Amino acid sequence: MNTQFKKGILEMCVLSIINNRDMYGYEVIEKLASDIDVNENTVYPILRRLTGQGLFETYIEQTNIGAPRKYYQITKVGKERLDEYETEWKTFLKGVFRLLGGNNNES
Amino acid sequence: MKADYIKILKNQLEEFDASRADLDEIINDYEQLYDDALATGKTDDEVYNFLGDPNRVAYDLIDTLKIKHHKDNRNKIVALMPFISVIIYMILGFGYGWWSTGWLVFLLIPISGIAFNTNFKNGFIALTPFISVLAYLILGFVYDLWNPGWLVFFLIPMTAIILNTRFKDMFIALSPFVAVITFMLLGTYYDLWNPAWLIFLIIPMLGILQKRNKVQMLIFELTFIAAIAFYLYMGYIQNNWAIGGLGFILPVATAILFGDVTFAWNMPKGGERKKVILLLLTILFSIIVFLVLGLVLNGWVYAWQIFLLIPVVSIISFDKFRFTSISPFVAVILFFSIGYFFHVFQLSWLAFLIIPMAGIIENA
Repeated sequence: MNTQFKKGILEMCVLSIINNRDMYGYEVIEKLASDIDVNENTVYPILRRLTGQGLFETYIEQTNIGAPRKYYQITKVGKERLDEYETEWKTFLKGVFRLLGGNNNES
Repeated sequence: MKADYIKILKNQLEEFDASRADLDEIINDYEQLYDDALATGKTDDEVYNFLGDPNRVAYDLIDTLKIKHHKDNRNKIVALMPFISVIIYMILGFGYGWWSTGWLVFLLIPISGIAFNTNFKNGFIALTPFISVLAYLILGFVYDLWNPGWLVFFLIPMTAIILNTRFKDMFIALSPFVAVITFMLLGTYYDLWNPAWLIFLIIPMLGILQKRNKVQMLIFELTFIAAIAFYLYMGYIQNNWAIGGLGFILPVATAILFGDVTFAWNMPKGGERKKVILLLLTILFSIIVFLVLGLVLNGWVYAWQIFLLIPVVSIISFDKFRFTSISPFVAVILFFSIGYFFHVFQLSWLAFLIIPMAGIIENA
């Protein structure tokens, strides 16, 4: 799979996860790694890049144990980007399934 | 360990000239990630694998960093330095007739490259060859101190040791250089080659201070002091240095008795250990060659050049090999040998032009 393509999918997944609820860094990495085969250490740079693009905001929340945590929250721009990604992705998948289905019918 | 991981990450980000805000934010985030990972029961090794190699992480973060603005200006200065050097050289030459010494301004090219593109510690170490060459030439041309002026080249390994070694180990690591410097100064100016060589005993004597068994440590030190005292007494009072030398059987026998002839150095393990041994062997080899050339061929005037092997080996073993780093020594050897043996110092200085040339070729 081409790197740029994979990177786009990962960005969409990170946006989607944080769209469901605000999360801290480690939580995002664990959630992503538990659902898809991803190298954990590639996630933080994505979080940071998307935050830099204004797709996430961060805030600090005190915890009962240890130091306060930084949480990521999706912004309006982030939601719009996620919609775009999802539309593109669904269109792409439809095309792929159509192709696969077409192949199946022929065989 | 968390501290080590964070330190490597921080150093690498500093190498990239990341802004203070970016650096602090990333370091805080990684401290938090590390703590969170540890809290789930992961070991340090597992956390390392989870977060990834800190050097690699820093590379992956490059496109998210705001690089310090001044870096652009620095690069401009480095790029302009060859032209600035030529202008200064012309002014010094036409204006003051300093053609034969004005070429030193060309050293500004590699110096500016190193000073503006490396962090303080590494930059300072990398600059020491150039500082040494300048100091050596000033000592030579102005004060005619070619020998023992070359001792300034020890500034290079000594600086690297001071900036990279733990305080506890620093004195032991510096002791070979202090010994050679003292030995050369006492020998050259007071003709005290013997018993000045005794100064080399500070190397094992400082090493012994690291022994855990303090009683053994004390006995060891006393045997050295007794042997030195006996040697000096037999030499100066009885005029029999050879018999005096037998006194050193005492500390050697003590070492064998205590079962640790390897007392001398609490050396690092693995590759670092090999490097330290190589450096010590180089020092030993240099001293032997120096004495042989001096005593057999009466070549004291040029024999000192063999000691340049010490900083060269030190640079090659402890740093990434770059010809720019060793070019000052090659230049000094060419300059002195051609100048001395063919009596053409007025031409041999051209050898120093290989320093900026190597800098330009390797940094291009």
